[in-house]
Amino acid sequence: MEYAWLIPVAPLLAFVIVGFFGNKTKEGGGAIALGSVLIAFVLSILVSYEYFVTSGLFDSGEAYAPAPFQWLVFGDYALNFGIYIDSLTCVMLLFSSFISLMIFLYSIGYMKGEGARKRRYYAEIALFLGAMLGLILSSNYLEMFIFWELMGVCSYLLIGFWSYKHPEGDAASEAAASAAKKAFLVTRLGDVCMMAGLFVLLFAFKSLDFTTLFDPAEIANVDSGMIILGSLLLFGGVIGKSAQFPLQDWLPDAMAGPTTVSALIHAATMVKAGVYLVARSYPLFIQSADVMLVVAVIGGVTAFIAATMALNNMSLKRVLAYSTVSQLGLMIMALGAGGYVIAMTAGDYHASLGYTAGVFHMMNHAFFKALLFMCAGSVIHAVASEDLRQMGGLSRKMRITSATMFIGALSIAGFPFFSGFWSKDLVFESVMNPYASGLPAGDIFLFLFALALITAFMTAFYMFRMWYMTFKGKPKEAAEHCHGESPKTMTVPLIILSLFAVGSGFLLFVGLNDIITFSVIGGEFMVGGNGKTAEYLFWHVLENKWTYVSLALSLSGIFLAYLMYSRRIINPARFNMGGRSGLYRFLTARYYFPQLYDQISLKLGYGVAKGVDYVDKNLIDGTVDGISNAISGSSDTMRKMQTGNVRNYAAIVIIGTMVLVAVLFILVRFGGV
Amino acid sequence: MMDLFGLDLTIINDVVKELMPIMPQVILIIAAIIVPVFGYGKRKGITAWLSLAAVTSALALTIFLIYDSYSGSFLNLFEFNEFTGFMMLIFMLVLFLVVLISLTESENRKHSGEYFSLLFVATIGMTFVAGATDLITLFVGIELASISSYALVAFRKNDPRSAEAAVKFLIIGGVSTAISLYGMSLLYGMTGTTELAAVADYLAAGDFTWVYIVAVIMLIAGFGFKLALVPFHAWAPDVYEGAPTPVATFLAAGSNKMGFIIFFKIFLIAFVAAQTVGGVPELQWLFAILAGVTMTVGNIIAITQTSIKRMLAYSSIAQAGYVLIVLAVATEYILAGGLFHMMTHVFMKGGAFIVVAALCARGIGEYISDYKGLAKRAPLVAAAMGLFMFSLAGIPPLAGFASKFILFSGAVTAEGTWIWLVALAVINSALSLYYYARVVKAMFVDKGATTEKIRVPHSFKFAIAICAVATVAMGLYLGPIMEICEAAAAAFFAMV
Repeated sequence: MEYAWLIPVAPLLAFVIVGFFGNKTKEGGGAIALGSVLIAFVLSILVSYEYFVTSGLFDSGEAYAPAPFQWLVFGDYALNFGIYIDSLTCVMLLFSSFISLMIFLYSIGYMKGEGARKRRYYAEIALFLGAMLGLILSSNYLEMFIFWELMGVCSYLLIGFWSYKHPEGDAASEAAASAAKKAFLVTRLGDVCMMAGLFVLLFAFKSLDFTTLFDPAEIANVDSGMIILGSLLLFGGVIGKSAQFPLQDWLPDAMAGPTTVSALIHAATMVKAGVYLVARSYPLFIQSADVMLVVAVIGGVTAFIAATMALNNMSLKRVLAYSTVSQLGLMIMALGAGGYVIAMTAGDYHASLGYTAGVFHMMNHAFFKALLFMCAGSVIHAVASEDLRQMGGLSRKMRITSATMFIGALSIAGFPFFSGFWSKDLVFESVMNPYASGLPAGDIFLFLFALALITAFMTAFYMFRMWYMTFKGKPKEAAEHCHGESPKTMTVPLIILSLFAVGSGFLLFVGLNDIITFSVIGGEFMVGGNGKTAEYLFWHVLENKWTYVSLALSLSGIFLAYLMYSRRIINPARFNMGGRSGLYRFLTARYYFPQLYDQISLKLGYGVAKGVDYVDKNLIDGTVDGISNAISGSSDTMRKMQTGNVRNYAAIVIIGTMVLVAVLFILVRFGGV
Repeated sequence: MMDLFGLDLTIINDVVKELMPIMPQVILIIAAIIVPVFGYGKRKGITAWLSLAAVTSALALTIFLIYDSYSGSFLNLFEFNEFTGFMMLIFMLVLFLVVLISLTESENRKHSGEYFSLLFVATIGMTFVAGATDLITLFVGIELASISSYALVAFRKNDPRSAEAAVKFLIIGGVSTAISLYGMSLLYGMTGTTELAAVADYLAAGDFTWVYIVAVIMLIAGFGFKLALVPFHAWAPDVYEGAPTPVATFLAAGSNKMGFIIFFKIFLIAFVAAQTVGGVPELQWLFAILAGVTMTVGNIIAITQTSIKRMLAYSSIAQAGYVLIVLAVATEYILAGGLFHMMTHVFMKGGAFIVVAALCARGIGEYISDYKGLAKRAPLVAAAMGLFMFSLAGIPPLAGFASKFILFSGAVTAEGTWIWLVALAVINSALSLYYYARVVKAMFVDKGATTEKIRVPHSFKFAIAICAVATVAMGLYLGPIMEICEAAAAAFFAMV
């Protein structure tokens, strides 16, 4: 485990090598990038094996946190660079490196036609992955923040990959550039929050190391208000990164990048970092039930809103994007609900169900969402269009893609025994829990639970709407010139991932429920660990009556989609009045969120800048002009000799001096500072 | 008794010993006298190389003195300690960079001897300010630096913009000098001494009579000019824009810092001295307000600039606002942070100005729109410029992030309620990313009119490389430089 730091180093090194010498190697450095992620994956397995099996740390639920490299020491504070490994770290490492491996492999086929620009692509995705792995292994918040920002930059670069010479023309190029900008700026808003959170925590704890921050004794010493403030600000970062309400809007636009990038962002990296941050910060977040309530409500609202937006979208990738936002909402909601229960239950708490559900759903989602995106990529690769209206009947031409995507859709819809089924129902139950156990604010959770059920129905519906529109029915224009199935490098990862989309739920059966747990035992926080298992979750899901309710809803969603888009018994146009209904347009316009953002940023940001400029140009200069004119009434001749402005400047100096005297006088007189 | 040809050699030894505290300055003084002589010879190129040799040896000597932890004083007017050494290091580095990029500056050919001589004299002035222990030394140093700067700004004689800028600079500078001199004479009238230590004691007493308030404000206003604090900033954009770019580099990266030393020497010492009785909160608040206003106004106006030099000028104003937090908080740790930020600023801002100068020398305009497609035309220069911009905006892991982080965290951890000021500063740095990123966007995203390659002169390449390496290195590994900063801050506090 002492070599765990090599895991992020491998892709980072690949970034440097590919970045400089990529064009001299085959496939623009694709092989090097692929090799590096393979190394990272193998190392992740070794590290996880050591942590779980040979080190014995797992049995006691401890984290492996060797003395970090001291990067900066100043006064009482030390900023360190180190690694922190517990079972959450291992799970994250394993699935992100594995899925990235699949995506990198798939990229070799997908990006074949990109020519010399492949070098840039491979370098950037390697850096992206390196940042994610570094973030997962970080031993303190600052280190995490650095990688977090690095990922932000990479996502900007990758989403804007086609900002010039887009395969679909100039308009698409511009859309890509603006989407990249949007992703960067919107997530940046969250990042500023997170940075402020770091300051608060540093101020409160005098350190940002996890080992200090997650120590109950330290937490007890700190003002709880500071922890609440810090947690909320950190959650602000999550809202930005994981595209939660009200900053959810950048993610669908981020579809402008290559599909592989979308898969990487949605499944293995970026947005998962936000969920990871919540799970990682659990010891801090559970200090206040209110914080957890906020988390859960934001998650629930996001899940619902995003699902409604997916209902009538006509772009293959955007439907998937909304579904990611919606699923992320579910994860956050589960984490919030689970934490709420712990926060409300003083004393020991055995294995939080919400925590397990959230993290487990994150993992399953990674598998099936990567699968879905890569299938979508395969379709787009073949028909060169993203518009669902132009597809249809593709299942005959692309058998593997159609079958694997069907599996992915079943999984996300929560069809029994597919991976989504297990985790989604755990999520639902964890949300129901606070109400069922009669905690205060249980009604809110009941409401969230209702939202979640509706979301499940909608999820099933829109996924199958998408699938039927793509693969069934009469082939439309774009589908006409489909040239058959994609190459092997693309279909093999699909098949592998579809196996996981089917089966990863059964990991609960073989003891995963021991690994992804969070408990408070004797005042200590424990992540994972034997003897502290949750209830036997596998059977638990099957015994729960709500499982069957949500299942019925999902199945009816699938059935409705079948009736509407495959058999065409119900005409969709009847609902939307041929696209003229208010609700339809409201959803297409994404609740008018983009306009809202534009208005706010335009009015506020640009307005303020212009206002100040106006004040500087007209008001200040104008006043100064007036005064200096009054002082030196008839100096037109001299004015022509000089530039005039310099007198203004001098006047500013004099007036400024007088203002300062006044300010100081006020401070002395009334300040009471 | 050493003896050579009948001469008593110990006298040389004595002279060297006595002059040791100002030895780097002595080198520069000699160079300032000799270099113009060569300017009248046939081979004018030699002035530049001679200057480079002089500044390199002065820089080397300064580094040696710092390394040696040397301290000593000269005639009770100048004291060399870690703090002085650190500031001298900053000034020498700036001078080195400016001389380096002036090697191939053709526009100064005709009077290159005087040009270098003026640069030296200005730097000598600044270094004397750094070590001053007396108001008079301080004032003389400031004027030495200022008057040379006026001439330097006017150096492009045939360019009306240069002349106009110089006149503005001179007039506003004159007004400010007058104001600060009033302040000083009031102080002298009240304390009866010109020793900085005595002045600090007087200020620390915080005896808020009208005379006291007027004297303090006169000092702030007069010296605020040097720092381009809002509302004494109006000259800066015009002057930076009009001055020859190497001179603008010199002013932005070097002369600016002199203002801080003056504030540190007059006010910070007083605040620290008064700390045992709770400080002088009214004055500290005044500086906090000045800091907030300066950074906000600087950043916001920078957003709408189209000329890159004006944009950099406003950004300098904003950066001065950040460092001003040091005066409000007044702890040893934040002083170290402030010094560190001043050091990183030399390389980030200096580097940015050098890039502008390099491109100017190759006929690229000074507007941000002229930088479109630069990544294709001069990839390495564009990459370096991107680095400087991101560092100025405070993106990790670059130097600007590290120094801002330490500076802000110093305010967070200090006694007192300075969180609001830090919040404002953080918001400001987020805001500033907008206009820095605009330059990066122009270079990397926008398409240029041509893709013709630009060949930047070697001396510029070298200077840009130094700045870029320093910007990255000081962000990644700041241990050694922080140690120097901390030592400097400690030495400064020991003066109390």
